[in-house]
Amino acid sequence: MSQPLLDVSGLTRRFGGLVAVSDVTFQVAAGEIAGLIGPNGAGKTTLFNMLAGSMAPSGGRITFNGADCTALPAQQMARLGVARTFQITSLFPGLSTFDNIVAASYRTGRTGWGHALVGARTYRQEERKAAERARDILAFVDLDRHADVLADELSYGEQRRLEIAIALAAEPTLLLLDEPAAGMNPEEGQRLVAMIRQIRDRGVTVLLVEHHMRVVMSVCHRVIVIDHGVKIAEGAPEAIARHPEVIRVYLGREVVGA
Amino acid sequence: MTLPRASLLASIGVLLVLPLLTQSSYLHHLLVLWMLYALLALSLNIIVGYLGELSFGHAAFFGIGAYATAILTMEYGVPAIAALLAAGIIAGLFGVIIGYVALRIEGPQFAILTLGFGSIIYTVTTYWVDLTRGPMGISNIPYFSFGFGLPAFETARANYYLVLGFVLAAAYACRALVTSRTGRAFIGLRENAPLAASLGVDTFRMKLLGFVAATVMAGIGGALYAHYVRVITPELMSLNYMAALIIIVIVGGRGTVIGPIIGALVYLGLLELLRATGAMRLMIFAALLTLSVIFLPGGLVSLGRRLLQPLFGHRRGGA
Repeated sequence: MSQPLLDVSGLTRRFGGLVAVSDVTFQVAAGEIAGLIGPNGAGKTTLFNMLAGSMAPSGGRITFNGADCTALPAQQMARLGVARTFQITSLFPGLSTFDNIVAASYRTGRTGWGHALVGARTYRQEERKAAERARDILAFVDLDRHADVLADELSYGEQRRLEIAIALAAEPTLLLLDEPAAGMNPEEGQRLVAMIRQIRDRGVTVLLVEHHMRVVMSVCHRVIVIDHGVKIAEGAPEAIARHPEVIRVYLGREVVGA
Repeated sequence: MTLPRASLLASIGVLLVLPLLTQSSYLHHLLVLWMLYALLALSLNIIVGYLGELSFGHAAFFGIGAYATAILTMEYGVPAIAALLAAGIIAGLFGVIIGYVALRIEGPQFAILTLGFGSIIYTVTTYWVDLTRGPMGISNIPYFSFGFGLPAFETARANYYLVLGFVLAAAYACRALVTSRTGRAFIGLRENAPLAASLGVDTFRMKLLGFVAATVMAGIGGALYAHYVRVITPELMSLNYMAALIIIVIVGGRGTVIGPIIGALVYLGLLELLRATGAMRLMIFAALLTLSVIFLPGGLVSLGRRLLQPLFGHRRGGA
């Protein structure tokens, strides 16, 4: 692997005496679909939040695209090209599906209030482009028929697709997906897998945190497993499925007092 | 010509003709007050409607603008037009300072903080007698004039057109805001701040921008008020006015451009109609606010939209 897109080294997060994530190191190469798995309470969400900039690490380094971005706030990570989805459905509920996407494309624009006040040509061009792109993205996630529907009124499955569309509207280099298959039936899960592949084919690197083993195993090129905040395995999905430590963690845990 | 554009031009036409339909200076006076309230409500709407934060301190910026122009024109002989602009800038500077402190906090705590700042400014205005003449207030403020030998705005009717110009400019600015990337960032913040941040919106800077823009508008509104009524007292910044502004924005329809203008008309209309009921009015307004929040959270504008939906077809979100 030449220079990785995302380089996480020795990442640690403590909450008082509890170490939620301990000295985790891994890389994600450009164009890859990487998966981060682990049992409940393994520290996946904490790790994810540190990568997305919504939680500062207690130690370690995060390098994105060759630049150190440890402990940058969420909005700056976004500007560097890291977009994320949320575990619990998170969209702009009072806006139409279409307006959700246009609002989400904030990072890609340059004009603002002043340009709109004077009706600048750059403003009009940018607005036209933003609307066009929003229609493209809505078609991509198959929500174009619902462009005028309030996000709040979409079905659960549609909302989850809209969330991915919102993240894509920011035109990220790296897309972080937080349990995208949560609450989906197998059919929707398969559809998600196809969508994630297409996103990769559009040139976006994907890192997903997931519970659904089937989704992870069918879509990821490489899987990183953490348990109790520590990385215990890393490799191709087939190898991970046979890894004794992973099987132990997922299937049966030796009962050890405290 | 599209239907919305036609109705916009028709509305502006009505607003232009309105004061010509009557010779009653009392009605003219009410029309000026309507426009002044509309201007203030439009400015508060940027905070309440677009940013989604409740501010109880907005009347203070109105007061700051009124006092700034009064003191500048009377003590320092500054021409009214320059004093008006300065009033906007001074109110905006207070907005920067207060916003910089208060906007780090969100939700109810922010609302309480603005109430605190509003009360401080009210108290200072009341007791700093050397500067503000205290509770007696300042009277004989000159009429507004553009200078260069142009006539001053002495009649209610002239003032109506003056303030109407500012209301239309403010409405245009609000319209431009919501159709711009900046406004969409504001609305994104209102709808879901963590999501907006994850998409690259600098939440604090955006809120400060909106807050300061609103305070500049309120300051100019205060200056127009001072030049029209010509007597100002610290009561301008009292809780009554703050409550009135919030009622106007919410009952009219927050987050829309026409909502605050309609809300101002309804508020003033009721205020006049219910004059005979005395203090009972306040209870009626409180009930109105409560009912609106429960049954018509989108305000009167949403009622209109609901009725007109079949005419205009599906709405295209946003403003």
